[in-house]
Amino acid sequence: MTPELTKTEQAELVSCLLDMGQMLLDCGAEISRVEDTLTRMAKAYGCIRAEVFVITSIISLSMEFREEEALTETRRIYSSTGTDFTRLEELNHISRSCCQSPLPVPLLKKSLQQVSSESRPFSSLLAGSILAAGGFAVFFGGSLWDGLAAAAFAIGICLLQKKLGETQISPVGMNLLISLLAGLSVGLVCLAVPALHMDKILIGDIMLLIPGLAITNAVRNMLGGKTISGLVRLTESLIWAAALAGGFMTSILIIDLLL
Amino acid sequence: MKENLIQLITAFLGALGFALLFGLHRRHLLFAALGGMLTWGIYLLIHSFLQSPFLANLAASVFAVSLAEALAHWRKCPATLFVVPAIIPLVPGSSLYYAMSFAVQNDMSAANTYGHQMLIAALAIAAGISFVTVCRELHTTRK
Repeated sequence: MTPELTKTEQAELVSCLLDMGQMLLDCGAEISRVEDTLTRMAKAYGCIRAEVFVITSIISLSMEFREEEALTETRRIYSSTGTDFTRLEELNHISRSCCQSPLPVPLLKKSLQQVSSESRPFSSLLAGSILAAGGFAVFFGGSLWDGLAAAAFAIGICLLQKKLGETQISPVGMNLLISLLAGLSVGLVCLAVPALHMDKILIGDIMLLIPGLAITNAVRNMLGGKTISGLVRLTESLIWAAALAGGFMTSILIIDLLL
Repeated sequence: MKENLIQLITAFLGALGFALLFGLHRRHLLFAALGGMLTWGIYLLIHSFLQSPFLANLAASVFAVSLAEALAHWRKCPATLFVVPAIIPLVPGSSLYYAMSFAVQNDMSAANTYGHQMLIAALAIAAGISFVTVCRELHTTRK
């Protein structure tokens, strides 16, 4: 059952779907999921033809409601607000229910706005960083104390990421700065407390910074035939990883000189 | 044996940490963390029989993605939610660190060894993911 849409509703729907695509990309969905979702939504709202093209930096959506009458809009995507799987799930839920019976456009707009207004509590980010860094420091052979130290430094990294996220700094600069500072402070603490292992603590904290999700998604995108997006994301994450390595290597070098 | 047990527990904690970090909903957390732990269990198992990091990583990543797909089907949510926490213990963070650290100390042969380890792990994970993707594509027919 598809609703008959007025001209204004059609225009509103296009911008709604672009919002939805942008949010999906932001919260960590693969490209193919964004394209699939938008195409299905468009069909559900009675489009006879929908052309969707998504890469990491742009979404282009063209919807044809009647013969030779298409609405096309593009949305440039600048920066991501960070992965949020709860939001991804909520958006997925909206899309599922719309494909069964389409919500009226104003209602769709409202529910999307509601999803975008809910932001993740900082505490879960902090708890996650502590657990992940501490866990992996021990996982890769560190002692319990190394794990605790990695967890403590993870708090610092998390706070730094939050502070830097509010500035205009590029992801490359951010990774370089954070890894340099983390490497230096871990190194200095390890010089003061010889019982700690610098390598294990840093490995735990590196796991937090490695763009693991981005690389996994890049590979999955490329395998799914979304070669351009996959390449963009892969190149991006390799550059971030290089920045990370650069920061850590510099800090190790400085610490080695101090010894 | 004790080392393996510690690794399984910390893989659970690490996967849980990443699930939290990526904002996974509370009701999925336990399963995501178990996924990470089981994946590492498969890695240890295969590695103890075949002594090959490549095959162990490959088998573990095939397991991780299949498990994630199954969990996603059961809990009616996108598979990505479970893929990432499950794969995380396989990410070669320590080889990356030692490769960097030896490169800085100008010990190129050691840096090479660790760099190789890292590449092999990354390749095996990618191959594992693609294997499952292809299987799923064969299974679902075009609509």
